[in-house]
Amino acid sequence: MIDRDHTVVTINGTEYLADPGQNLLDLINTTNEDVPQICYNESLGPIQTCDTCMVQVNGEIQRACGMKVEAGMRVQTKLPHVHKAQKEALDRVLEKHELYCTVCDYNNGDCEIHNTMADFGLDHQSRPFQPTSYNRDDSGSFYRYDPDQCILCGRCVEVCQDVQVNETLTIDWERQEPRVIWDNDVPIDQSSCVNCGQCSTVCPCNAMMEVGMEKEAGFITDQKPGILKSMIDLTKKVETGYGPLFAVSDSEAAMREERIEKTKTVCTYCGVGCSFDVWTKDREILKVEPHPESPANGISTCVKGKFGWDYVNSDDRLQKPLIRRGDTFEEVEWEEAIAYAVRRMNEIKAEKGADHLGFISSSKATNEESYLMQKISRQVIGTNNVDNCSRYCQAPATKGLFRTVGYGGDSGSIDDLAKSELVMTIGSNTAESHPVLASRIKRSQKLFGQKLFVFDLRKHEMAKRADRFFSPKSGTDLVWISAVTRYILDQGWEDKNFLNDWVNGFEDYRESLEPFTLEYAANMTGFSEEDLKDLAKEIVEAKTVSICWAMGVTQHMLGSDTSTAISNLLLITGNYGKPGTGAYPLRGHNNVQGCSDFGSQPDQFPGYESVTDEEVRKRYEEAWGVDLPKEIGMDNHEMIEAIHDGNLSMMYVIGEDTGIVDANINYVTAAFEKLDFFIVQDLFLTRTAEYADVVLPAAPSLEKEGTFTNTERRIQRLYKSFEPLQGTKPDWEILQDVAKEAGFDWKYESPSEIMDEAASLAPLFAGVTYDRLEGYNSLQWPVAEDGTDEPLLFVDRFPFEDGKARLYPLDFELMYDTTEEYDLHVNNGRLLEHFHEGNMTYRSAGISRKTPDSFVEVSEELAKERGIKEGARVKLISESGEATGTVTVTDRVKGKELFVPMNGTGKSAVNFLTDNRVDKDTDTPAYKEIAVKMKVLTKEGKSPIPVNNHRRGNPVPQMGVKVEEKWKRDDYEFPGSQVKR
Amino acid sequence: MAKPITSIKKYEASREEQIEKDFEEVKTAIADNKTAILKGIDLLKALEESETLDAATAFTYKRKEILANIVEEINRDMYTGILENIPEIVYLLGDLDLKTVRDVTSKLNQGMEEMNAAASSKEKTSVLDLAKALKDPEINRSITMLMNFLKGMGRN
Repeated sequence: MIDRDHTVVTINGTEYLADPGQNLLDLINTTNEDVPQICYNESLGPIQTCDTCMVQVNGEIQRACGMKVEAGMRVQTKLPHVHKAQKEALDRVLEKHELYCTVCDYNNGDCEIHNTMADFGLDHQSRPFQPTSYNRDDSGSFYRYDPDQCILCGRCVEVCQDVQVNETLTIDWERQEPRVIWDNDVPIDQSSCVNCGQCSTVCPCNAMMEVGMEKEAGFITDQKPGILKSMIDLTKKVETGYGPLFAVSDSEAAMREERIEKTKTVCTYCGVGCSFDVWTKDREILKVEPHPESPANGISTCVKGKFGWDYVNSDDRLQKPLIRRGDTFEEVEWEEAIAYAVRRMNEIKAEKGADHLGFISSSKATNEESYLMQKISRQVIGTNNVDNCSRYCQAPATKGLFRTVGYGGDSGSIDDLAKSELVMTIGSNTAESHPVLASRIKRSQKLFGQKLFVFDLRKHEMAKRADRFFSPKSGTDLVWISAVTRYILDQGWEDKNFLNDWVNGFEDYRESLEPFTLEYAANMTGFSEEDLKDLAKEIVEAKTVSICWAMGVTQHMLGSDTSTAISNLLLITGNYGKPGTGAYPLRGHNNVQGCSDFGSQPDQFPGYESVTDEEVRKRYEEAWGVDLPKEIGMDNHEMIEAIHDGNLSMMYVIGEDTGIVDANINYVTAAFEKLDFFIVQDLFLTRTAEYADVVLPAAPSLEKEGTFTNTERRIQRLYKSFEPLQGTKPDWEILQDVAKEAGFDWKYESPSEIMDEAASLAPLFAGVTYDRLEGYNSLQWPVAEDGTDEPLLFVDRFPFEDGKARLYPLDFELMYDTTEEYDLHVNNGRLLEHFHEGNMTYRSAGISRKTPDSFVEVSEELAKERGIKEGARVKLISESGEATGTVTVTDRVKGKELFVPMNGTGKSAVNFLTDNRVDKDTDTPAYKEIAVKMKVLTKEGKSPIPVNNHRRGNPVPQMGVKVEEKWKRDDYEFPGSQVKR
Repeated sequence: MAKPITSIKKYEASREEQIEKDFEEVKTAIADNKTAILKGIDLLKALEESETLDAATAFTYKRKEILANIVEEINRDMYTGILENIPEIVYLLGDLDLKTVRDVTSKLNQGMEEMNAAASSKEKTSVLDLAKALKDPEINRSITMLMNFLKGMGRN
């Protein structure tokens, strides 16, 4: 209590203790006093547009949401003239919004207008409803806008401008009839809107509503427009008072609750780990509703999480196991497929040994499923040949962090990124690859003065927003990071206390920095020496620094070393263990973190314990009742090589389209052809599955229980929204069936039992239980047995024996460059709207309509040089293969650098170009090191970016909804003044 | 040597197999819900006996047309008065003091009984009879009540 000022506020005669600077409405909401409020939303803060929260403060009528508490404040909420002012504001709202609740799809018990009017006891409309002269905007695929229901509260604008920070929506307060507009007043579909859907999430009524809800949510809302209009009129005739209307509509809303299931789930796309309720009616998905208490995302989502679920009900889903017979797959029963698979595995094991079998788990599978995959590999078969797709992306980051700080995960939470003074992103297209996390940074930068430095080849959205943007020569990040670190040490600007208390290996490290002079770095990276000095100064001056990085760092031959260099820099400047600091290797898939955490790795058991550690192995041998293999197994990359060398004969791949996402796919698919036996478990007949001998039809996240772990090391539960599609099974059940057929009856009744077993064996997860993860609760590992977790790591110690971190010496050699023949550098990555190769998102009609295909980004200079224009067709040829694509000329890339998004399928797949080069420490493919030559097929043509793609839009940035402009209107009068005694 | 293939030979369960399988599934569900099913049969029987089942079936098939007919019909102007009266009547019911109404009603009934009993008599009443009648406590109580009622009704 020492730090807390006492701010005593009197509300209706009772004294309350408030936090200094607290919003008055926030305080009132913690008491039993009811004040109507519509535009106010805790996640958005005060907007001050609806005027309904009128209260009297020290004798004057004010908007409660617009006031901060002050000591001695006297507040009245119930006086007659206060009540009258509130009623005036509510009447104004109802002039804009027609109440026809029973036939409204938004009448689901959570309509804030309905509830506010009912709570206030408003029993009739004083002034008639006045429709606008505008039409509904139904142009978008995902949500629509009805100006006649819109009360102009501006929540949508607020969320678009200041939470999502896409800056598409504004309200034009100067028109005769103000309304929400997109860009400079274009239809939704033609605007810069990225369809994150947050406007429809925060809309208090049915003005901005998800298309999936329309005609679906209500019992009698699916009517022809004429009938619906008659019904609305009828509803209004009977409503001489709102009481009976509310009674009927409340009853109907209660009936809807019976029919519409609301199930909490965790998003299955990127690593941010958004959680939300999925509203379903049988197998139909009506909408996705995030919650303020969703730990990673709050009320935020991106287009994929909010609207990209069509793949679950795709007609392409496999519904029967397949067995290859001759030139065709034959559908068979589960018993037959499992028996056949196990018989062949046993035969190969007997003939060639357990190490001829390999297992690849999936970042789309749950933690429990990853645990079972490594258990099959180790217990049932007896090999450590088990890996997962983090090998393709983030293994180098994990390596770099284990070398220096001892835990391979984000040091803190997304909240830490939001409060950091300086955020640096290196090789990360954050706004497209981790959109919700990027929005937190964009918000902090826009509203709270956070600095953002972006290091990337491409001038993508974050680069355009950045305070400083640096574009180094590809693959040289290690050099500038090390040079900046050295310069900091040369100037004596390092955090000496932190180094003394918490860090080992300083001398050796300092020596290793010798070659990294400013001059050398300037030569290698293309930065000026002045820039490097400035950078050092800025980093040292910021009280808290966080560094985010992604595939632009890791998918290089020096991916692990560059990740290590980042961590070294953070140690030298003392940016670990404090809120707002740390290392953030942004994980790409929903469960790429958890898949490694739970042991699908060739060298580690769950919780990152080595398979070569006698004591650890004994623990698992006792639990599982078998002898376990002692040797480290093969990783993904080594498995493919081993197939070519005749040392691996069988693979079992879960939910991973290796044949399209691995580097150098020609080489990979050639390996598949050589396998004796190949099992693939997936939702679809993927390109990889086409090579399989047995295909097992799996069930996606909405059809099962389990947990995912996001980039913040946050373990979150998902619940089953509906039963698996007929004929399919969740991966954990399939794996259990396989083990049972092979003679190991695991007897798990549910995924929670699998988690209990994993927690009992892996100390990192000791306290993880389903009870502690109930609903929106989550745990960030390490989790102690009593359930204590660590949202921020390294507060007390680093997880090494003496509790100290380690500086790790590095050197540098540039191993990749373009050549005279292969003169162009190909960069590649994700698009916002398509996840990865797109096998889920292409199944969304709305997404495909706006982004039908991949493309090749070419700089203006290069286009001029080669005489090509927008829409040209080009063939890119690397040493490994070739791909064709359609050109878009942009200022996002420069000079001889190209960008090819990963969502190309067929002949445009970028991995036809990638080769076998890997990170020297982790075997992660060096996807980002491709030199190509370009052959022009046609010089121009139709642009690959459709006219309704958001990249063509024109955002209108401003601060929030600009309510002051509303107040300036001639026809506006403050309700408080209107009722003055 | 496994070449990539995409053709799938669909497993076509024979009709008999499918029926057998579906029947098994239904049988299990029946066994699991025996009591509810038996009660359901009772309900169906009751509906059938009261001839409600046919009507309900027909209604369900035609529900959209019926709803449209009703909504369109009662939305016509001629019904506006009735519709607006519905809630008014509801409120009226709320305002009435039903206990008093019941007392008054029972008194009205008594009065009517007496009236009916006297209906056949040819007796006539003179002014004097009226004055005399006021002395009859029952008549006096009625007149007083009526006068008070008239007073209340006239109050603004």
